[in-house]
Amino acid sequence: MATKEIMCCWLIVLLVNLEENRTLVDTRLKSLLERGEFVVTGEVGPPHGANHQLVVERTRLVKDYCDAINITDNVRGIPTMSSMTCAHYVLETGAEPIMQMSARDRNRILFESELYGAYAMGIRNILFMTGDHTLLGSHPQTKMVYDLDSIQALGLASHLMGGTDLAGDKLEGTPDYYLGATFNPYADPMEMHVWRVEKKLDAGAQFFQTQAIYDTSRLEEFMKGIRGYNVKVLAGIIPLKGPKMAAFMNRQIPGIKIPEEFIERLEKAGASLKGAEKRSEVRGEGLRIAMETIEAVKKIAGVNGVHIMGVGWEESIPELVKGTGLHPRPK
Amino acid sequence: MSKISNCREKTVFSSANTNVSGYLVSHMIVMDLKSSEDILEMLDSFEKVVLFGDSGCAQMCDVGGILQLEDMDDFLTGHGKKVLGYIFVEGGMCDANALKQEIDANIEMIEEADAFLIQACGVATQAVVELLPEKEAFPAVDSKFLGVMPERYHHDERCSMCGECVLHLTGGICPVSRCAKGLLNGPCGGSMDGMCERDLETECAWQLIYDRLKKLDKLDNIKKIWEMKDWSLARGPRSIVHEEI
Repeated sequence: MATKEIMCCWLIVLLVNLEENRTLVDTRLKSLLERGEFVVTGEVGPPHGANHQLVVERTRLVKDYCDAINITDNVRGIPTMSSMTCAHYVLETGAEPIMQMSARDRNRILFESELYGAYAMGIRNILFMTGDHTLLGSHPQTKMVYDLDSIQALGLASHLMGGTDLAGDKLEGTPDYYLGATFNPYADPMEMHVWRVEKKLDAGAQFFQTQAIYDTSRLEEFMKGIRGYNVKVLAGIIPLKGPKMAAFMNRQIPGIKIPEEFIERLEKAGASLKGAEKRSEVRGEGLRIAMETIEAVKKIAGVNGVHIMGVGWEESIPELVKGTGLHPRPK
Repeated sequence: MSKISNCREKTVFSSANTNVSGYLVSHMIVMDLKSSEDILEMLDSFEKVVLFGDSGCAQMCDVGGILQLEDMDDFLTGHGKKVLGYIFVEGGMCDANALKQEIDANIEMIEEADAFLIQACGVATQAVVELLPEKEAFPAVDSKFLGVMPERYHHDERCSMCGECVLHLTGGICPVSRCAKGLLNGPCGGSMDGMCERDLETECAWQLIYDRLKKLDKLDNIKKIWEMKDWSLARGPRSIVHEEI
């Protein structure tokens, strides 16, 4: 076959694939949650640069262990490859992406523009978040946007699904999304954060992922607060690599509360050891803590799954999913 | 430049002050003097300088009161400049008529000057430029924010001039200027123990709003979604012409 013909065939296959994606209304994430499965989502950090192959590699590492994969959006204001571009590569690698969009870096015009583009590329799960303050990251001099907050951004996405833009002009192609949002059970005041969950539901959120859970009592209390709502909740899990990471997270990552007891366990696991042996023991303890947390959140009424964030340690995701009996994942 | 040591008694500005819980609180455009290096660089090619200050915000921020004009005079003289004198406006330099009267009363000094150094906000510098376009006027200060002065030398931001006040809904605490992200639908996930995620010193504005509305029994104000804000009202250049009463 001539090169031209091969190109033609390839193009037809690609177009058919895109067409299929366009008509996909139920995402795997949505159908599993609605079917009542205990869902596992994982997180892949986008490259700090232009190498898209890293997205493919990180996706391959976790895709058999997760029902959908989150792509973070410039966490802590440290610029990484765009979440929309990475979500495209997650799709191309044969997994389902959850594209994160923070309100920090986009005005309503860019939100609309990117939401059209994401849909066109077959991205259906979109998760909205406020976005960390830039003073916590590497580009503190930047001008933050916050034209909208995460609730208004959710409302905007819901509005687009009605076929018009914010000006009321008819869209050339109406998108359809499975919309998600976040909550942090440790944040104050709790009553106001419970209302924010309700506001997010009103604005169109259908699933929630939480900030990393360590002490589960606060999540239990929070879940009681939102008991009356029809809401799907995935509890956030971040395995701890060691006591230094835990201390850093308590200090630098907004909304995280790691109990001293866990930090002591990590210290104890590595005590009197050195080098690779110490590393392996400490990380093993970090995985054990994460597995205990997963087991604990499984028992909390209203929790529909877990969201595991490797934070640069994507290898931990298969370990945790296997270790808690959550593998193989349902079809 | 050394920090100003000023022992002047606090003046009462009836128009700019309110009395809250029995102590004097002042609201103003808050400014900070630029560095001595920056000021010398701006004035590099000029010798004869006239200093401008006023008894309003400039004096309250300790950047453009008489004492700071005198300090600046000493500093510039010490660096080979010739300070011809001061233009000091009672009230604020934003009152263009008051500024013009002071300029007219000192017109010989103004004509002799090579440049003007304005120890007041950006409005003041531009007011001088508009009245005296033949010569250059330079800002001696950075205008920072609109704030309150709970005590001398201490200033906290309170207003962003967003063009559409929401204080009636938030118990008089502004989420636009006091939430580090300007959020309108409650606190972000970084609000913990009453503090903002940005740093250990900043209070979470939404915690303050929540606590106050709870006391006022008006929490319903913040339970429903607040729609997208019209930021076109916050964008300049803005002008208002009030009708005479």
